Amino acid sequence: MSLRAAALLMPAGLLALSIASQGFAQTDPGVRPGAINGQTGATPTSPLPLPSVTPGGPLEFFQDGLERFQTAEVVAGGEDNGLGPRFNLESCSGCHSQPSVGGSSPPTNPQFTVISRGVASAQTNVVPTFITANGPVREARFPFFFTAGGAVNTNAPNGGVETLYTVSGRPDAGSGCNLTQPPFALAQSTNNIIFRIPTPTFGAGLLENIDDSTLIAIRRARSGNNLGISGAFNVNGNDGTIARFGWKAQNKSLQIFSGEAYNVEMGITSELFPQERALPGEESSGAGLPAACLNLGRAGYPEDTTHFSPTTSSSNPAVVNASIPSDAVQFSTFMRLLAPPLPSTTTPGGSNSIVNGRNAFVNIGCGSCHTPTINSTQPSNVTASLGNAAVNAFTDLEVHHMGTGLADNVSQGNAGGDQFRTAPLWGLGQRIFFLHDGRTSNLLVAIRTHSGQGSEANQVISNFNLLAPGTQQDLLNFLRSL
Amino acid sequence: MVCWVCAAALAAQTGDSASTPASMAKLPAETLLVKGAWSSASDSTTPVPEGGTVADHRYTNDYFGLRYPLPGNWIQQYEGPPPSDAGDYVLAQIVPKDSSDAANRGTLLITAHDLFFTPVSATNAREFLNDIAIHLGAGHEVEQPPSQVRIRQRDFVRFGYASPAIGLHWYVLATEIRCHIVQFVFTTRDRALTDKLLREFQSVDLPGALDGLPHPSSGDAPVCLKDYASPMNVVKRVDPVLLEHRFNPIPVRVIIDKEGRVKHAHFLSAFPADAKTITDALWQWRFKPYVIDGRPVEVETGIVFGRELPVTASRKVPN
Repeated sequence: MSLRAAALLMPAGLLALSIASQGFAQTDPGVRPGAINGQTGATPTSPLPLPSVTPGGPLEFFQDGLERFQTAEVVAGGEDNGLGPRFNLESCSGCHSQPSVGGSSPPTNPQFTVISRGVASAQTNVVPTFITANGPVREARFPFFFTAGGAVNTNAPNGGVETLYTVSGRPDAGSGCNLTQPPFALAQSTNNIIFRIPTPTFGAGLLENIDDSTLIAIRRARSGNNLGISGAFNVNGNDGTIARFGWKAQNKSLQIFSGEAYNVEMGITSELFPQERALPGEESSGAGLPAACLNLGRAGYPEDTTHFSPTTSSSNPAVVNASIPSDAVQFSTFMRLLAPPLPSTTTPGGSNSIVNGRNAFVNIGCGSCHTPTINSTQPSNVTASLGNAAVNAFTDLEVHHMGTGLADNVSQGNAGGDQFRTAPLWGLGQRIFFLHDGRTSNLLVAIRTHSGQGSEANQVISNFNLLAPGTQQDLLNFLRSL
Repeated sequence: MVCWVCAAALAAQTGDSASTPASMAKLPAETLLVKGAWSSASDSTTPVPEGGTVADHRYTNDYFGLRYPLPGNWIQQYEGPPPSDAGDYVLAQIVPKDSSDAANRGTLLITAHDLFFTPVSATNAREFLNDIAIHLGAGHEVEQPPSQVRIRQRDFVRFGYASPAIGLHWYVLATEIRCHIVQFVFTTRDRALTDKLLREFQSVDLPGALDGLPHPSSGDAPVCLKDYASPMNVVKRVDPVLLEHRFNPIPVRVIIDKEGRVKHAHFLSAFPADAKTITDALWQWRFKPYVIDGRPVEVETGIVFGRELPVTASRKVPN
């Protein structure tokens, strides 16, 4: 990868980190240059929809959702109100933008400039030390609650999102809401903090449209393997069907995913999550949010609703129709209609290297969890591209024990503190930060971090370590081709 | 993202609560304190499959009656994951202490697969390895088809395959112990190391080995019978009422005494609250005693509570 191409995608410091050998003979080629998502025509602000998403309805809904996904929310007095009283960032695309809107964390962190940009008041907020200019976008959680004395109470699991910033002090938030940020410094000093980075959403509609029986069959076919891999499903607690979105596969559908993110990450209530969200400690103590911090948008609840009247005077009926659903619904529509990333057959390393790397990936057992292709989705009533389609996502959508090295001590549904959903690898080639907390930008480090005390991946990583150096490099090239 | 259940109710999910202090000034790094479904047992003295240990340069497993001297300068770097709800175990993974040692580029993975719960439709080691053989990926070649071999007076099935493109060889030795398929999977870059490890494997200690050493599993172990908890054998059954996680499969191995009472319950994968609910119910079950030559004997069998993984016809095992 040329330095010039890499510089277009990341700062120099990050580039140096990504291509440094760090003591290994093999090197991560770094973020793949060239077409965004491997798609002709995609731009950083205009990802491509699925092929069947065409004018006359689907495309207009997609474009409307894309626009809303990029909208900067405010507390009150604007077109999109309801931000806060706590938030991690003011727009969806601020976090989900690498290499295009809908993706993962960008190279420069917009959370770092929330105060300098005037989104959060400097009188009531500070940038947490774990948010850096060129580090990953992050949400923070405390695995456990604290005692009154500031010790970690291991009898009281927490795991909920501790939102970074408050709207207190913003001109549009009024003067009565005085909230403080969570005790991040205490959490860091007691090692009682974990992080999550944004999950990319390209191709999410395909993942959503896989029938449970298909996933179960994949799991059964892997039974009795000689790799020590087992896996399990996270399920919806109400009906027992397989959940599949989020780092622990805790969310059932894109609509739930959207509504929850809107509420947790931006503090905006919707028809899916109609109540304002307090911090976990405020909830568990029964105090909740102060009354002065409620209804800051001054329009009642939920802040995001279905529009009973169109919000546009467009002459295009499809555009008019697309303006009716709520933001949360349109976010999910946008993600559902996003095209999946396409792999490169030549970059990096050339086609032979990529083919060799793929073979190695499968033959050492990576493909046992990172299933290359799921055949296929169920018929779709949404759009033809989502129906009876192969899903080349490199995931089994199961949660796996990843050991103490990756454990975050957060339990969500069936997923315990060391269990994580197999991350889909499509689009990996143009991601910057890896693993659930973005702890590394080096793909080789990310691979080796899969092994550890109690991990299902230990034998596969041992197999990787047994490969000849050239084959290991082929495997890295293959991954960056995705 | 949001922890909907109150902190007190989740307290039971923290693992090893007896050894974890209630409050800590600082959490230890890389320590799992919040477990999901995990293995557990009704008592701490009855051996369980995952209870093996590596000490004094030897892997010892009292449940299987297994003692395996590790190859020279090989160690267990990491313990494996907990048992799965499909009956899969990683008993140990042994690797060279010096990963740069060119003469020792290999690993040994010791696994067990519970025949009561595995979705693989196999009843013995031969069928189990045949199933693996026919499901090998396109990049693998069979070097030695599954065949019978005798090691230390015990029957094994051996199976060798390789991936020429990446230069790795696998050699599997599988045997049946207490209705489990116990496998020794050697992975190497060269056949010479495989041969060396197989020669050293002759010193393994297993039930049925004629060496005069006591083996808990040879004669002392209960008779293992699949599906013994069928209506014809269960005189009294009390169904546990599972409230949370009721959609999970919860496999349980029980040991039934000569009077037909459950004396031990081993949960392969269960949340603590479910394990307690099921255990309380199992203590009330009554079975018909299993009789051999006119004498009642202890029985080990498997029961799945919750939602069992559905059986599909997609995986066929050749004879």
